[in-house]
Order: sequence, then structure tokens, then C-alpha cells
Amino acid sequence: MTATVDSPELILPDRAPGTPLLELDSDLTLDGRFGSQTLHITSTHVRVTAPDAAAPLVDIPVADIASARNESLVGGGRLEITLKNTDIRPVIAYTASLSDRFSEAARGIEQLAKGEPFSIGIKLQKIRCPKCGRLLPERDGHCPACVSKWKMIFRIGRFLTVYKFRTLALAALAITSAALHLAPPLIQRQIINKILIQHEDFSQMWTLIGLWTVLLAFGAAVQITQGRLIAFLSAHVIADIRAAVYRAIEFLKMSYFEKRKAGAIQSRLTNDTQNIWGFLVDGVPFLLSNTLQVLGILAIMLWTNWVLTLCILSPVLIVMVISSIFWSRLISRWHRWSHKWARFQSHLTEALSGIKVMKAFAQEDQENQRFIAANDGLRHSGTDADQYWSTVFGTMSFFIALGMLVHFAVGGWMVFHDRLTIGDFVMMQVYLGLIYGPMQWFAAINNWFSRAMAGAERIFEVMDTEPEKYLQGNNAHPIVGEVQFENVRFGYDKSNPVIKGMSFTAAPGEMIGLVGKSGSGKSTTINLICRFYEPDSGCIRIDGIDSRQLSLQDMRSQIGVVLQEPFLFNGTVAENISYGKPGAPFEDIIAAAKAANAHHFILGKPDGYDSQVGERGSKLSGGERQRVSIARAILHNPRILILDEATSSVDVETEKQIQEAIGRLVQGRTTFAIAHRLSTLRNANRLIVLEKGEIVECGTHAELMAKQGVFYNLVKTQTAVNEIVGVGNA
Amino acid sequence: MNADLKLFHDPPEMFRATLTDARQRILVKPVWAAPLSHPDKYLALLDEKGEEVIMIADPATLDADSRAALDLELGRRYLTATIERVLTIDPEHGATYFSVQTARGPRDFVMQHLQDNALWFTPTHILLIDVDGNRYEIPDTRKLDPASLKMLRAAL
Repeated sequence: MTATVDSPELILPDRAPGTPLLELDSDLTLDGRFGSQTLHITSTHVRVTAPDAAAPLVDIPVADIASARNESLVGGGRLEITLKNTDIRPVIAYTASLSDRFSEAARGIEQLAKGEPFSIGIKLQKIRCPKCGRLLPERDGHCPACVSKWKMIFRIGRFLTVYKFRTLALAALAITSAALHLAPPLIQRQIINKILIQHEDFSQMWTLIGLWTVLLAFGAAVQITQGRLIAFLSAHVIADIRAAVYRAIEFLKMSYFEKRKAGAIQSRLTNDTQNIWGFLVDGVPFLLSNTLQVLGILAIMLWTNWVLTLCILSPVLIVMVISSIFWSRLISRWHRWSHKWARFQSHLTEALSGIKVMKAFAQEDQENQRFIAANDGLRHSGTDADQYWSTVFGTMSFFIALGMLVHFAVGGWMVFHDRLTIGDFVMMQVYLGLIYGPMQWFAAINNWFSRAMAGAERIFEVMDTEPEKYLQGNNAHPIVGEVQFENVRFGYDKSNPVIKGMSFTAAPGEMIGLVGKSGSGKSTTINLICRFYEPDSGCIRIDGIDSRQLSLQDMRSQIGVVLQEPFLFNGTVAENISYGKPGAPFEDIIAAAKAANAHHFILGKPDGYDSQVGERGSKLSGGERQRVSIARAILHNPRILILDEATSSVDVETEKQIQEAIGRLVQGRTTFAIAHRLSTLRNANRLIVLEKGEIVECGTHAELMAKQGVFYNLVKTQTAVNEIVGVGNA
Repeated sequence: MNADLKLFHDPPEMFRATLTDARQRILVKPVWAAPLSHPDKYLALLDEKGEEVIMIADPATLDADSRAALDLELGRRYLTATIERVLTIDPEHGATYFSVQTARGPRDFVMQHLQDNALWFTPTHILLIDVDGNRYEIPDTRKLDPASLKMLRAAL
């Protein structure tokens, strides 16, 4: 990408006429082919050039521009300019990879058209790895291929420092274990050469067998201790890593969760930590013991007879080559199987959780067909992977056996011609058996290691992601309740703003109703008040202070939320009510429940306040869940209260009780309420009517009805719908 | 199907339709109702407010000029690239790197979580969605060359 400044944040002041304010490369031509064109914005013109075109493809004087926008297309976008004569001119096309940049460019063009200073923020995020040129899986993220494996190992290793004595003991045991494996074949040689062939003193036999027994017993003790240490260390280290990742996830920004599925985040805590666990449990001891063992064996074999050693090890190379060639293919088959397994599992979960709907629509046969298809896919991929594995393993076994044949052919010839003792021959044979096992897995180690490193990398990516500034900022401020939006602009997808320059002020204790069609920006406004997201531009002030300067923890502790679908945690009713104020006196919990009209139904339960609410509150009805969540908000005693469709999806009687509870809750607090039924906002001090992210009307219920504008039409439409529903019910 | 329906560009960047009254030249946006399960069928024309003006069950029944104008506009609006040949697929470190030849030209892209982002509509019809949300379609894997198919099968 070309830009006039080399800065991650591109905010340019106005410049002299003709000087480029911004140059942006696109990745599509206007006819939709992949290719490069460049958008040039100066204070007087908007131009598009192509590398192979002598003249600009588009050249529009700023003076002719009425507005500019990012037109969303399927898989990308197009910057369009509306001229003052109402003609629309497509300017430049781009893929989804660049939409956010061009959306900002459109905003800049609009600023120029309105005579405002050109002031936009474009993040020049890295798309490719600067080191290897690979595309990055996440913009500005780490390149998985270039992350230093040593750095990663060192980081995992840091988790071991807590258990340094056990770690050192494990290393010492690995060395001991390798040495102990080397000894028995040496004893065997001694027995064969000295006692069985040369018939020297037989009493030596008892000494050697005694020594062998001691070594075996010692070896077993080492192995047991090593195994117990590994079990301890791996479990503790992984628990520590999981705890660290979980803690990091808790403080991640909402935008992080928006881009990823819950399952993918969960897998960082489960699969990725499991991969590291596997590596720590199996990989590290394997590497330590076997590397030392193989080196020791090689040294003894070469020292005993280097010619025979080289001959019998020649098939090892073949085994290693086979292993390295076919291992990646085997891994891809295992990957395919695991994808099929994930699909199968998700299908099964969905089918079981939706079994009521399936039965209601009598779709058992269709669901069975889908199950069979998923099951067949799983069976096919499983068969394919296992058959491939059997073939590769069988081939490797053949070459391993071939090594034994070479040993008998060359070693046997040497024994026959007195160039090797039978004791040495047998010892070499035993060592051969010991060396082939690790050898065939060494090629696989790289992949094994890579998987663990990939897991570690994903885990560290979470831990390294910039968190919410939750624990930063000492500006603890007891909120009075004034909330001011000052030209706030925000979009989840930066190319598509949802809130466009919103400004209003809510006085302390005022109840504001947010009204508008679905997608008008009501919930986003609330998300911004809670600081789940930061505005892209503009400012939100609480009691006149820029909310970004306030301690997030302190600020959120003074905000209460009652959602349309209240989320209750698995636990008792009392625990859920006191969620925002752990340790609250039981009397306060009861008082909050009474104020929320929940006390009566809670007492009706066999265990009262100790009743388990079930997963996500599944053991309570919708109205009961809602009243518990209101009690939770009352006990939390917030200064700013958010009611997001708090009375929808409950019956009229329950709604009445909830309305009463809400009436008590809003007293003396600045309240922002979204309600599906517009009549329930009658008590609001002011209503703010939103359309496409902009405020179109503001006033009391009565004022807006008298105005007969957007709100009036919304109310009329809703009344008409209710009448239709009423007729239908009759 | 409305026999009076005409589609055309006027000026070249603006796509318009006339329904019964040729003097009413409304600006429209063509949108496929189900581009993957019913390709080339069920095309909706939306007005500037996004309201449906008309649904064309089979755009092939349009007159040749309208069809040509429609194809041009659809090419501008639907940036899904059709993969013609797979050059390389490298699954590495949890990501899968593709280098492909598409009907729109050569392209490199990277995918994550293949089980979620490789969508199979039939056993031979796939849609791949890369990390940025760009879309790549293979309408019929049987039409790929053997080398491409082999790489695709190994990766997916």
C-alpha cells in the first residue's frame, strides 16, 4: 500500500492544493479483475490511476462532489461518489481485505466536499509477513512460520521455573535412564564372550547377573520416578498455562470475540493446551531420553565395529526418508479426519438440542440422512487415514527388518571369519533393536513439535493481544450520571459505520428511551456507553470526563445492565442476585428480590434462595430469569442503568410485575432503555429516535406524537400490527 | 416474467430498469436470491431503498441486451472469484495458504478453521472464505485438472 506518511495512524491536516493527501492502492480493477489501481486524493481532485494507463481512469474535481460512500459488494466493496448533479460515479473497487481503508477514504472525500479539514484514521496493518512474505492469518498478527521456536520453547519453559527442582530432577533422570539402557547389552556381551565361549570362571556369571538385576531394578525405579515427575509437571504446567490464558481471555476486548467463534476460543484452552501437554508428556521425555540413548548407542557401536555399524545403519536412512516423506501426508489425513469429526460432533449436538423441533416437523428421516452423510464422511476419512498409516508403518517395518538381515549378513560374515566375537554380534543386535525404535519417530518429531508450537503460538497470541485497559487508569470517579455523546462515530466493520456522528446529552437521573427500527444503532449506542467498544471518532463523556480517561473497572462497576435474554450463571438464585456484589448480606439480597417482584416466586421454590437455576438459568421461566436479573441490577446499585428490551418475550401479567420492578430500579439513576413495545417508553423523560445510526428525532413521547414524524409512524405501525394480531387472536 | 422489463446502463456506471412504462428508468441493484443453491436463477432487482422491485425467476429469458447489461452489473457486484486451477495449497501451523488461478486472475489467500470456512453445498461444489471474508468458489470440482483436485482433496 502507498500512503503519504509512513505511520500506523494516518491523520493528515489540510495541505496545499494539488499535494496528495492520501494515496491508496486497491487490489481490484473496476471490471472486477485482481490487479492494482491507486486512489489519489488531493484537496482539489479525486483521481484513480492504473500502472498501465497514461491518463487517470477517474478524475473528479472535489468541487463537483456531493458525497462519497463505500458501496458494499459481495466479497468486497466499491467507492462511489455522488456528484452535485446527482449522478453516481463508481471510483475504485477493492476486495474485502481493503474495505476498511477505502471506507475511511470515502469519509475523507466527504470532509473535503463539505469544506472540512481532511482528517481520517487509517491503520496501515500488515497483511504479509515482512520477513518471509507469507500472507498473515490475522492482520498485524504473528507469522506462524517465522515465530522463533526457541523463543516459544523458552516461554513455555518459563512456566517450568516455578517447579525448577523437579525440572532439574527430571533432566537428571532422563540422562540416567539413557545410560541405564546402554548397560545391559554390554553385560550380555561379557557373559557370551567370557563365560559361554571362553569358559572362564562361571562365578562371574552370578556377579554379572546380580549387576544386571540391580541395573534393572534401578532402571525401573528411575522410570517410575520419571513417569511420576512428568505427570506432576505436565499437569501443573498446563493448568498454569490454562489459567493464564483464561485470565487473558477475560480481559480481551469485545471486538476480539466478535471476529471469532466461541468454539475457536475454547479450543485455545482445550486443544492447544492439550497439544502442549502432549508434547511435554511424550515429546520432551522422548527427545531427552532417546537423543541421549541414540548418541550413546552410536558411540558404542562405532567404537566396537564401525564398518558393521555403517552397514547395518544404512536402512535407517531409508526409514528416516520414508518417515519424512509420508509423515506430512499422514498428518493431512489425520487433519481431515479431525475436521470430519468436528462436523459430525456439531451435527450431533445440533440434532439433539433441536430434537423437539425435528419431531414437531416430523423430519426424523431427513435428519437421519444428514447424520448418515456425516457418519459416512467420518468413516471414509478414518478408513483412509488408518489404511495409509498401516501402509507406511508396514513399509518402515520392512526396512527395519532389513537392517537385521544386513546385520546377519555382514556381522555373520565377520563372526565366521573371526573378525567379530559372538558377544559383540549379539550386543550389536540388541543395540540395533534399541536404535530403530527412536529412529523411525525422529522424522515425526518435527511435526509433533510443530503442532505443539502452533498450539503455543495461538495461546501466546491470546496472551499477547492488547487487552481492555481494565486494570489501567487510576481515575476512579463516583459517577453522578451525566452521559454525553459528542459527534460519535463507530462501526464493528470499519468500512460500514453503524453510528454516524451521534451527539446528545443525558442529564443525571434522566431516563432516555432509544427508539428505532432494527439495525438503527440502538444496541450499539448501549455497547458504547458500557465501553464494550471505543468510538472510532468523537467522544463519550461521563460527568464531563472523557470516558477513556476513567478506570474501566471502576466505571463498569457503576453501570447496571438488564438484557432481553438475561444470562444467569449455573448456581443458586442468591448467588446470581449477588453476582455484581459478592458477599452482599442476605438481607440485602432479599430486599433486592422484593424490589424486583422476585421474592414471591423464589419462596415458592423448594430450596428458596438456594434453588439451583441450572445452566444459563434453564430451570427458571423467562419472566423469573428477568426478575432475578433485575434484582441483580438493584443490588449492584448502578448509577447508569441499561435496559435492553427488558420486558419483551414475557406475558402481560409478568410484564406488569417487571414494569413495576423497573419503575423502582430506575429511580434516581440515568437510564437508557430500549423497548420493543414503544408504549412502555411512555415514562421516559426523552426519546431519541435513531435511523441508520443517526438521530432523527428527540423529545418526550407526547412531543414526538404531536410532531407526527418518524416516531409517530413507528407507533402507528405498531398499533396497526397489534390490531391485526388482536383480530387474528379473536 | 414481465415482457416489458428492460435492463441497461445509463450512464455506463448506473444500472437501470424499465418495467411497464419505458419513461420510468429506475435505478436498481441486482441481487441473487440463492446464488449457491440456485445459481443463475431467482434474481431480485432492488430499488435505492433496498425494496424489491421485481423477482426474475429465470434471467435467461431476458432479451439479449438486458442480459448483457445484467451480466456486466453482476460481474461488478459479485466479487466471488471462481477458482479455475489450484497452484499450491500449504497447510502450515494451523493456517492453510492457497495460491490459485481464478477467473479474475491469480490470487494468494490464507484460510483458518477449514471446517467452518470451507462450505460444501454439494459433494463437488465448494465455497472457500478467507481470513478477510473474500470468497472463492469452485462450482464443480470434477472440472478441475487432476493436480488441482488432488491438492484440494488432500487439504479439505
